[in-house]
Amino acid sequence: MQGKYRWPDGVRCVVTLTVDFDGPSHETGRRLTPLGVNSHGRYSGRRGVYRYLDLFEKHDVPGTFYVPGYDAECYPAVVKEITRRGFEVGAHGYLHESWDVGEQEEELLRKSHQILTDLTGIAPLGWRSPSGRKSGRTVQVLKDLGCIYDSSDKDYDLPYVVRVDGKPVEGMMELPSSAFSLDDHPFYKFSMTPPSEVLAHWQQEFETLYHENGYFMLMVHPRSGWGSGTPARARVMEEMIRFIKQHEGVQFFSVAGLAKWCLHNRQHFD
Amino acid sequence: MTANTSIWPNSRNCAVLITVNLDAESVDLHEAKRENLYGRYSYGRYGMRAGASRLLDVFRAHAINATFFVPALDAENNRAVIDSILEDGHEVGARGYAYEDHSRLGPLQRATLEHAHTVLTKITGAKPVGWRAPFGLLSTETFQHLADLGYRYDSSFQDDDYPYVVDCGGGRQLVELPTFEALTDATFYNARHSHSRVLKVWKEEFDAMYSAGHCVNVTLHPRGDYGSGRAIRARVVDEFITYMARHPGVYFTTGRELASWWAGEHPQSEPVGANLVPFDAALARG
Repeated sequence: MQGKYRWPDGVRCVVTLTVDFDGPSHETGRRLTPLGVNSHGRYSGRRGVYRYLDLFEKHDVPGTFYVPGYDAECYPAVVKEITRRGFEVGAHGYLHESWDVGEQEEELLRKSHQILTDLTGIAPLGWRSPSGRKSGRTVQVLKDLGCIYDSSDKDYDLPYVVRVDGKPVEGMMELPSSAFSLDDHPFYKFSMTPPSEVLAHWQQEFETLYHENGYFMLMVHPRSGWGSGTPARARVMEEMIRFIKQHEGVQFFSVAGLAKWCLHNRQHFD
Repeated sequence: MTANTSIWPNSRNCAVLITVNLDAESVDLHEAKRENLYGRYSYGRYGMRAGASRLLDVFRAHAINATFFVPALDAENNRAVIDSILEDGHEVGARGYAYEDHSRLGPLQRATLEHAHTVLTKITGAKPVGWRAPFGLLSTETFQHLADLGYRYDSSFQDDDYPYVVDCGGGRQLVELPTFEALTDATFYNARHSHSRVLKVWKEEFDAMYSAGHCVNVTLHPRGDYGSGRAIRARVVDEFITYMARHPGVYFTTGRELASWWAGEHPQSEPVGANLVPFDAALARG
C-alpha cells in the first residue's frame, strides 16, 4: 500500500522509543542539591535505566537513551551498560541546561560529546536539547562533532533535512518530537493522569499516526516523580510496545538508525 | 525483582509503610504570624482538631500501625493528639522543630535537630529513631547529625524501590526508606485533583509495585487543604488500605521496624551524598 509518506518497503509506520536519562543533572543544573525531595533523578541511575534496558530487551525492540554529560559522570557504569547491551546513547546537554547558554553553547556541546565518547567508546550520532533549548548555531557544532541528527524540534510530523538560513545542512536530519503529547512529563508533572489513561492517550496518538502512515516518537524519563522509571509507568511503555506490535507493517528503529535510513532516502524528506 | 524470590520477611510479597506527616501550625507559621492563624491559615489546625483522629480511626479499623512524623512545635501545642497516637501503638518520628528547611540552616542545623529531638523525646517518653525532612529538604550534614543523635533512618528521598543503607562515616549508618510522590496525598490535592482520581492512581501504582515486590511507602497529611483529614479523603485512605490488604503477602510495617530489619539483612552501605558535585564545580571540571 502506498502511504502518505515513504518508508522502507512494506513498512506503514515507523516507531522510535526514546528515554531521556535526566538524572541528578536536572536538579544540579537548576542549582538544587539532588537530595530528599529533589532526588528523583537518582532513581534513573539506581533503577530506571536498568528497567528500560530489560524491557526493551524482553520485547526485542531498539531504544535510544539521551544522556546529559553530568549524569554519565555520576553513573558511568549505567551508561556503559546501555552501550554494552547494544542500545544507542545520544547526547542531552551537560547539566540539562535550563538556562540560556549563550556563548557557552559550543563548549558545553563538546564537553558532553567527549564525556560520552570516552565512556562508551562510541561517538554519539545524535543530540536532543535539554529543556528544549537550542540555537541557530547548534546544528553546525553537532555536524562538526560528527552527528547525523538532532531530535529537539517540535515543528513537523516527519523527519526532515535540516536547513539553516534556507540552505540544507547536508548529512543532518531533524527527527522531531512532541513534549506536549508524546512525553510522560506533562501527565505525571501537571495533570497527574492515571497511568492507564496515559496509555489510552498514547494508543490514540499511535492509531492516528499509523492511519496516516506516520512517524511515532515516544519520549519518557526513567526518573521517579514525574518520570516513567517506576513500575506502573514502565508498564505503560510495555503495554504500548505490545499494542504497537499488534499493528501490521510497523518497524521499530533506533533514532540513529532511522536518521541513517532517511539520509539514504533524503529525496523524501527535503 | 520477581515476587517468588521475596526479599521480605517470611517470604511476604510486598512491604507497606503508612506514614503521616503531622504538619500543623508549624507550616502555616511560614506564611502568617501566630495572631493571624485564622481563615486561610487554619487548615493546619483542622488536621489536629479533626483530621488526625479520622486517620487514627481508619488505622484502628484495619488494625495497622502507622508512622507519624511530627514537627516538635506542633507536638508541643497538640499534646492530646500525640497521646492518642501513642495510645494506639503508632510510631512517632521527628520532622524538625518549626518545620525548618534543613538544607539552609548552616551552623544552626545541629542545634535545631537537637532541640527538636529533646522536645519530642520529652513529649513522647521515647527517643525518636526516624526522621523526615520538612519540605523534603536536607543536606549531607543532616545525615551525619541524625546518626550522631541515634536516629536509625531517614524517609525523605524518592530514588529507589527498596530501602538502602547509607554510611555516614565513623561506622555510623542510617537506613533510607524512600518515598514516592505519586503515593502522597498532597501531590494531588495541592493541584486540586479529585479524590476519585487519587484512588485510581494509587491503585494502579500499587498494583505494579506489588507485582514487582517493592516497598510501598504511602504519605498522608491530616490537614484540611492538601491532606487526607476530610471525611471523603479519609474514606479514600480506608479504601486504599482495604485494597492493598486484600493482596496476598502484603504486610504493613512501621519505619522503625522496617529500618531495623533491613539494616540487619543488608550489611552493605553506600556513602552519603555520593556523586554530589555542585553546579559551578561541575561546569569548571574537565
